[in-house]
Amino acid sequence: MIDRWIVTFYSTHFALKAEKVLKEKNLEVSLIPVPRSLSSNCGISLSFDGKDYELVGRLLAENGVEVEKIHKPLD
Amino acid sequence: MKEKKSPSVSGIVIITGALVGFLGALLVKLGNPGNMGICVACFLRDIAGSLGLHRTAPVQYIRPEIVGLVLGAFITALYTGEFRAQGGSSPLIRFLLGGLVMIGALVFLGCPVRMVLRLGGGDLNALLAVAGFVGGIYVGILFLKNGFTLGRATNLSKVNGWILPLIMLGVLLLLIARPAFIFLSTEGPGSRHAPIVVSLLAGLIIGTLAQRSRFCFAGGIRDLILIRNPHLFNGFIAVLVAVTIFNIIFGQFQIGFSAQPVAHNNHLWNFMGMLLVGLGATLLGGCPLRQLILTGEGNTDSAMVVVGMVAGAGFAHNFKLASTPQGPSVNSEVAVIIGIITCIVIGMLSRQE
Repeated sequence: MIDRWIVTFYSTHFALKAEKVLKEKNLEVSLIPVPRSLSSNCGISLSFDGKDYELVGRLLAENGVEVEKIHKPLD
Repeated sequence: MKEKKSPSVSGIVIITGALVGFLGALLVKLGNPGNMGICVACFLRDIAGSLGLHRTAPVQYIRPEIVGLVLGAFITALYTGEFRAQGGSSPLIRFLLGGLVMIGALVFLGCPVRMVLRLGGGDLNALLAVAGFVGGIYVGILFLKNGFTLGRATNLSKVNGWILPLIMLGVLLLLIARPAFIFLSTEGPGSRHAPIVVSLLAGLIIGTLAQRSRFCFAGGIRDLILIRNPHLFNGFIAVLVAVTIFNIIFGQFQIGFSAQPVAHNNHLWNFMGMLLVGLGATLLGGCPLRQLILTGEGNTDSAMVVVGMVAGAGFAHNFKLASTPQGPSVNSEVAVIIGIITCIVIGMLSRQE
């Protein structure tokens, strides 16, 4: 099983923007409903492969995507 | 309830939906108006009337279901440690959109919950409403894709989150004490209600499960369109299946367009009313039911939406914007158009790159 990390956002807009930014760099990401274990928020989150952790954090910051939290698997 | 926590993520959404459907049919059987076992818009409107915020005599009653929904979510969130007082994300826009969503719902005569309950009672007018609702969500998604956001909420002191749940408790006490300043319908939909205890319990059960499952009608369709994920949408289908089955069992199922309870068959404005609801709910990030649940979790942004919906209900009846079983008025049509334009302007201007 690959190491899926989850990013949560303050607004759906930033989830969509994050997906766009990361897909442009050919990273393997997908949008999923926020896992219930992470939050009672009903929004959308982004899942990515843990090996890309540093790159994802940097790309999101560089592109002004506001992130609520980046969650490790089973966090 | 027998299921406490399902290992399958969609499981609890489906259980919640099935219970909403079952209780929706049961509450009608026990006295609520036709296809109105639960309706967040109609019931907030009835509460507004009962508090004298509008004077349409047939629709004034303090609906314990609403109190139960908020308090069920409130108690559950306190118990699970998920209660968090938050707010400050565009409160006035939320108030305004809440009011507009209410007006749209009262032109159709139902919130998204009642839309599905009506469909499951055989009321085919709700098909037009579903089309409008999905259309409105689609338009809302276009704004989300173009940078729409209401900004982020910040943490607040706990007392902020307690206010609306406690007001709900106070409203329930008014129903029990029945002081002279409260209006209670003696005829019409407001006079038809299930026993208080049953209504309250139904609200508490759904409030609890909706808090656990994040059940949301607008969110379900949004996720289906936007990220092709059917997780929340499963709940929507579960409500429809369950309410249809129990309506048939209770002898309440009657298929057709005409002579449906608390409904009209003006297709255009059933469509347009729910288009406004779908659009407004998507900009707000949740349908009216979801706003009640988030209010219970301490979210004062959602509480602003709820207060806006109550105010909207007052205007809807004072200005004759709400439809009657004879259909919408010219005022209704003008109000829905203004509402849609307002949502579009907000959707274009409240952006962040």
